Amino acid sequence: MKEQKEDNKDVRVPDTAKPTVHELDAAGRSLSEALQVSFIILKVIMIVLVLAFLASGFKAVDSNEQALVLRFGKIRGVGEKRLLGPGLHWILPYPIDEIIKIPVETQVNLPIDSFWYFQTQQEILSGQMRPVRPDQPLKPLQDGYCITRGEKQDEVIGDFAGSDYSIVHSKWQLTYQIDDPERFFINVYIEDVKPGDIYFDVITGSVEPLLRNTFEDAVVTALVNYTIDEAISSQDRIPKHIKRLLQEKLDKIESGIKVVSVQLTNSECPRQVKKAFEASTTASQESETEITNARTYAANTLNEASGPVAEKLYAALHDESIDEQTRELLWPQLAGTAREKIADARTYRTEVVERARANANYLESILPEYRQRPELVLQKIYLDAIEQILGNNADEKFVVQTTKGSKGTQIRVLLNRDPKLKSKRSNEQAEQQNQQTVNR
Amino acid sequence: MKNIAIAIFVALIIITLSLYLISFQVRETESCLKTTFGKATIEDEITRPGWYFKWPFPIQQIHRFDSRMRTYEVESEETTTAGGDPIIVSTYVVWKIARPLEFFNATKTVKRAQSELLHSRIRNTQNNVIGRHYFSEFVNSDQSKIAFEEIQKETLKTLQQDIEDTKCGIEITALGIKQLKVSEEVSKEVFDRMRAERNRRAEVITSQGMGEAIKIRTDAKSKAEELITAAEARATAIRGIGDAEAAKHYKKLEADPELAMLLRDIGALQKILEKRATFVTPTDVRPFDLLKGLPELKPAKPDEPEK
Repeated sequence: MKEQKEDNKDVRVPDTAKPTVHELDAAGRSLSEALQVSFIILKVIMIVLVLAFLASGFKAVDSNEQALVLRFGKIRGVGEKRLLGPGLHWILPYPIDEIIKIPVETQVNLPIDSFWYFQTQQEILSGQMRPVRPDQPLKPLQDGYCITRGEKQDEVIGDFAGSDYSIVHSKWQLTYQIDDPERFFINVYIEDVKPGDIYFDVITGSVEPLLRNTFEDAVVTALVNYTIDEAISSQDRIPKHIKRLLQEKLDKIESGIKVVSVQLTNSECPRQVKKAFEASTTASQESETEITNARTYAANTLNEASGPVAEKLYAALHDESIDEQTRELLWPQLAGTAREKIADARTYRTEVVERARANANYLESILPEYRQRPELVLQKIYLDAIEQILGNNADEKFVVQTTKGSKGTQIRVLLNRDPKLKSKRSNEQAEQQNQQTVNR
Repeated sequence: MKNIAIAIFVALIIITLSLYLISFQVRETESCLKTTFGKATIEDEITRPGWYFKWPFPIQQIHRFDSRMRTYEVESEETTTAGGDPIIVSTYVVWKIARPLEFFNATKTVKRAQSELLHSRIRNTQNNVIGRHYFSEFVNSDQSKIAFEEIQKETLKTLQQDIEDTKCGIEITALGIKQLKVSEEVSKEVFDRMRAERNRRAEVITSQGMGEAIKIRTDAKSKAEELITAAEARATAIRGIGDAEAAKHYKKLEADPELAMLLRDIGALQKILEKRATFVTPTDVRPFDLLKGLPELKPAKPDEPEK
């Protein structure tokens, strides 16, 4: 604009000087022609400049942005019309209108590591943990952590009640987005964009301290309500609680920022007490194994005793409401030791009945003969038996000659006892003894 | 014609330039204070955005203040609770310039406002409020006794009142405690307690597991025994039935009980001597008497019964 004005003056000076050089014919004419040409050029330039001035009102809004227009510093329009969506827009040129673009669609991640213990750059890069002594304290200015509440106890122990808090380390990631461009623009401090800066980076950089502070506040506030076990088991409940708290805080100051998500990326008990924590985990695993083993043992024992039907039968035996018929249905399904016992009894039953029947029949069959010739029949039966015993059964036989009147004669028989027999017998005895002690 | 166009153009430019001198814009994000020869009253505060007029430079001057929210945090500091427990907190505030005139009179710049006004006041308020509360109100195993949020709210209210009283044009919109820590010494104690708590819990878990396992085992054992006993009872009943059935046949033996007993004895003898046996016998027992010599035997007369 200023340039334009100066150009104008330059033009006017020769213009007023024109009559004084009227006499110089040819020179004058060529001069006036030159002036006329330059005047036309000047006009063109002026028109171009005016057009350029008007064209400077065309503004492009990116697809991830929405824009506000300030007219004399005040937001233009009402309601929905205040916001310009992506595309090309024409506004009145500077200094009347001004466009403010706000990147609303882009979600920004903000990692928060300030609740983690101090790590040197090298440790972070190498991913290795520095060993700590169990009695090494946490330096409040260096190491970050949160305080969690203690487990609620049934009995209250005097003054000590409630002070058994724990310490927990955690890492978080916050994802946010600008939700309300107008509120955001009016309320949130954004640094001036300096040449060379990227507008988007300036916005995120300026918002960071506010978000970082409110987020840390939300984390500290939320975590005192949880126990350390809840905090390190990465429950979904805690991030949700924090998200709610943070959104409340951001809404209260009308920041126009929306919390998209809060993630607990890592949480750990302090390294100093890790061993004790691991030991308690091992303990619970071990006791689970113990219980599983016991269950296996129980299943095996019951199976051995009476097979798969054991539990059912046991329940049936103890349930008064189950009638005898149902119980009877279960008995035949028995297996294992119990079945063996019953089977043995059945065998016994058959055996004993059959033997009695056989004996009776035998007696019945020989009775007529016996009545007629008792001596002979008896002798026959007796000798048959002796024959059988001595013929098949006795391994060794000794027949000793007896003489009359030789009473008191001693007969010594050296029995060559079968060593197998002896050992077998003593084994049996030992077994019996064992069983007796077991039964006891 | 040309001259008129030029004249209009020039006039426009002059008007624009003079407007620059006698008017100013207030953006949405700021508030302004108009001073006349350095002096300002409450009417000179401009907090609404728009286009305003003023006298040119030497007479009236415009001071602009960014009215957007800023955050300011005080570094971590150790303080004590009502119970005398040391506690380390870090407080931040969100603040903005609400009344330009007061702010202009009190500090003029943001930097000075933070370092001179806010810093000490936040610290004082924070320490005062925390000193009124017990540590058990910050964290407590009984969730209903935790008053952490209330403490923050109380601090905010106290600070807001304090700042308002100083008339420095600052408004505190939010306040929060963003670090809650304990001292080095206390952290050691906490570790000891956490360790003890874990060990205790491990012991409880182990003993509970053991108890449970033993219970399962003994339960199963007694169940199995009970089932076997039941089966044995049943077996005995079956045996009894067998014995009863067998007894029916014994009636037949009543025909000649002596013979029956003899047969029974012989059977028993056979059974007893069934396995390995050594047999010693004198020769005067039949049939071993035959070993001594042939007995005198006369053929029996057919009609004479044998003795």
